Amino acid sequence: MKFSISREALLRPLALVAGVVERRQTLPVLSNVLLDVREEGLSLTGTDLEVELIGRTMPSQVEEQGAATVPARKLMDICKSLPDQSEITFALEEGRAVLRSGRSRFTLSTLPVAEFPNIEDTQGSIELSLPRGTLKHLIDATSFAMAQQDVRYYLNGMLLELRSNLVRTVATDGHRLAVCSRSADIEVEPAQKLIIPRKGVLELVRLLDDSDEPVSLTLGASHVRAHTGDFTFTSKLVDGKFPDYERVVPRGGDKVFIAERAQLRQVLSRTSILSNEKYRGVRLQLEEGNLQVMANNPEQEEAEENVEIEYTGASLEIGFNVSYLIDVLNVLDEDRVQMTLADPNSSALLEEPGGGDAMYVVMPMRL
Amino acid sequence: MKTRKILHADCDCFFAAVEMRDNPSLRDVPMAIGGSVERRGVISTCNYPARAFGVHSAMPTARALRLCPHLILLPGNFDLYRSVSQQIQAIFHELTSLVEPLSLDEAFLDVTEVDRFRGSATWMARWLKEESLRRTGITLSVGAAPAKYLAKIASDWEKPDGLFVIAPHQVDTFVRQLPVKRLHGVGPANAAKLDEMGIVTCEDLRECSLDTLIARFGKFGYRLHELSRGIDHREIKIERERKSISAETTYQHDLPDLEHCQSALPALLQRLEERMQRHGHPAIDKLFVKVRFEDFSLTTLETSGQRIEAGTFANLLSQAWQRASRPVRLLGVGVRLTPADRQRQLALPL
Repeated sequence: MKFSISREALLRPLALVAGVVERRQTLPVLSNVLLDVREEGLSLTGTDLEVELIGRTMPSQVEEQGAATVPARKLMDICKSLPDQSEITFALEEGRAVLRSGRSRFTLSTLPVAEFPNIEDTQGSIELSLPRGTLKHLIDATSFAMAQQDVRYYLNGMLLELRSNLVRTVATDGHRLAVCSRSADIEVEPAQKLIIPRKGVLELVRLLDDSDEPVSLTLGASHVRAHTGDFTFTSKLVDGKFPDYERVVPRGGDKVFIAERAQLRQVLSRTSILSNEKYRGVRLQLEEGNLQVMANNPEQEEAEENVEIEYTGASLEIGFNVSYLIDVLNVLDEDRVQMTLADPNSSALLEEPGGGDAMYVVMPMRL
Repeated sequence: MKTRKILHADCDCFFAAVEMRDNPSLRDVPMAIGGSVERRGVISTCNYPARAFGVHSAMPTARALRLCPHLILLPGNFDLYRSVSQQIQAIFHELTSLVEPLSLDEAFLDVTEVDRFRGSATWMARWLKEESLRRTGITLSVGAAPAKYLAKIASDWEKPDGLFVIAPHQVDTFVRQLPVKRLHGVGPANAAKLDEMGIVTCEDLRECSLDTLIARFGKFGYRLHELSRGIDHREIKIERERKSISAETTYQHDLPDLEHCQSALPALLQRLEERMQRHGHPAIDKLFVKVRFEDFSLTTLETSGQRIEAGTFANLLSQAWQRASRPVRLLGVGVRLTPADRQRQLALPL
C-alpha cells in the first residue's frame, strides 16, 4: 500500500472516524483505524463494536492499492500538527506504516487487517431518506436528556420513531424527558421505533448539517445505517422497550407563564452559582407578573433574582434541578418560553408559547 | 437562645440485662454476651459481676475467659434485644418526638419544650427510669444537662441505675473540675498529648489559648476549646441517616485461599439481602467488600452499582484478595446508600 494525500483531505474524515475509537479498549485492534486505499479512493474505518464509522476521501495519488490498520489517535495527532496544506505520503514498509511529509517521517505500528472487526452487513428491510437538517434538529433538540449508564439500559439512548409523514425523537433519563417531532416526506408502514445507543447518537449528529441534502437510513433488525455523502455510519440498536412519552407529558397544569428565554436562562445561570454544587436545587416562586428564583448552598450563601413574566393566577413555590431547566432553555430556538405547572410535586412542561415541535417535561425537586 | 434541656438515657449493660431479666439465675454470676473463643469472638456486653473481673465490652472473648474462667458466655438473641429496645424507644417518644437514637440501648432526648412534669428535667428522667423498669424490667441511667455531651457524661456519672442532673447554673463548676479524659473525642492518644501539655482538667484546658489548641489538635482544638467551657451546640438529630448496610463474618478457621473466600460469598450475600429487606430496600449507591487477612491487615474495595449482584461482589473480592494474597480472617460485603438529599429529585412516572 502506498499513496499520498493532502493534509486537508485526510483530516476531517480522520477526526470523525477517530471519534468513534474508544480511548480504552479490550481488543488492541479497536484502537486502530483501518485505512483501505483503492482505485476509487481511500476509506477510513473506526469502530468500538457498537458503532462503526466509515469515511471516504480522495488521495492525490495512489501508487499501490492495499489496506492497513494504524493507531487512530496517534495518526490523527500527527496529521493535525503538520503544517497546513502539507502533502502526506503513506506507505506500508515491512509491516510498519511510514508517514512522510516534507522533512518529517513517522513510523507507526500496524495490526493485521484481518483482525479488524466489521459490523456485519445489515439485512436492510427498510430504506428511507430524510433531510439532514431535519434529523440534526431532532437530535439536537432531545439528545441532552439521554441517560448515562443507567441500569435501565434502554434509557442510555434515543428513541427514533419513524412513521408515515412523521419523524420523532424522544430521550429521558428518568428525571426529565425531551420529545421533538417533525413532518417528513416518508412512507413507513408499520411505524418503526428504534433505540440508538447514546454514543451512536452523539457520533451520528457530528456527520449532519443544517442542509436539505439527504441522509439515507437503512433500518435493520438489530442495526441502523446512515449514509451522508462521504460517510457511512452503522450503530447497533438497543434491544428494549422505550417508555411511552405520552404517559409522561403532563396534561393538567393550570399555571401557565411566558418568559423571555434568554433572560430567564441568564437568571437561572447566575442563581445556580450559589446552589448546592451536587444537587443543583433552585426554588421558583411564581407570582402574578413576577418569577423569583432563589438558591442557597451548605455554606449558607444565597442568591435571589426576580424576572418579569406574563402570568396571572395563583402563586406557587416549586423546586428544580437548575441544570435541567437550563438544558431546555439552551435548545429551544424561540425567543420566548412557556412553562406550565400544576403543583410542587408534579412535572413542569416547557415549550414554545402555544406549543412548538418540541416538548420538555421536567420533574421538580423537593426542597 | 433558650437554655436547652437534653436527656441522655442509657440502658445498663443492656443485652446482659435482658438475659438476666429472663433468667434470674444469671444475675449474681459473671456472664457476658459475645462470640465464642473458637469463633474468635469478642465480648459485646457483660454484667457487673463480670466487670468486677476486669471484663469489658469489645474485649476478645479469649482474654475475658483468662480473666474470669467461670464466665458464662451467651451467643445473644438480637431479635429479642431489638424488640425490647423498641419498647424503650416508645417510652421516649411518649415524652417527646425529639429523640435521637444512638444505638439499641442509648438515645438523646430534647425536652426543652416539654410541659409535662412542670417542665422539670429531673422528674422527666425519673419517669423514664420508672416506666422502663415497670414495662420492660430494664434499668436506665439518665443524665440531664443543657448540652448533649454533658448529658452523656451525666448519664455515666452514677451508673448503674443512675440519675444525674447538671443544672444550667452548675455547668461552669462541673465542667471546671471535669477530667479532660471524659470529653468525647479524647481517647488515649489525645489524652497523652494533653497530659504532656500539663492539662488534666477542663479548668487547665481553659487556660490554654485557642491558637495553641488549634496548632496542636487542628479542628478538634476548637472543639476542645468549646467543650472546656460547657459549649455544645449540636442539635438532636431525629433521623440518623443510615449510610450503609453490610454483613460480615469472622471465620472460625482462616479461609486459606481465594477459592474458599469465593465459596463463602453466597452466605454473606444472603445475610446482606435479609438486612436490605429489613430496611425496606433503600436506594444503593455503591457496593463494597471488606477483607481482613490473618495478619489483621484490612482492605476494602468498592464500586458504583445500584443492585446487589453476586458477580460484582465476586470481582471485588478477587481484586481485594489479590492485594495481600494470604489467608483471610474476616469477610464483609455491603452497600453504601444513596444520600437522602439526592433522592429529593422526583422521578418521572415512566
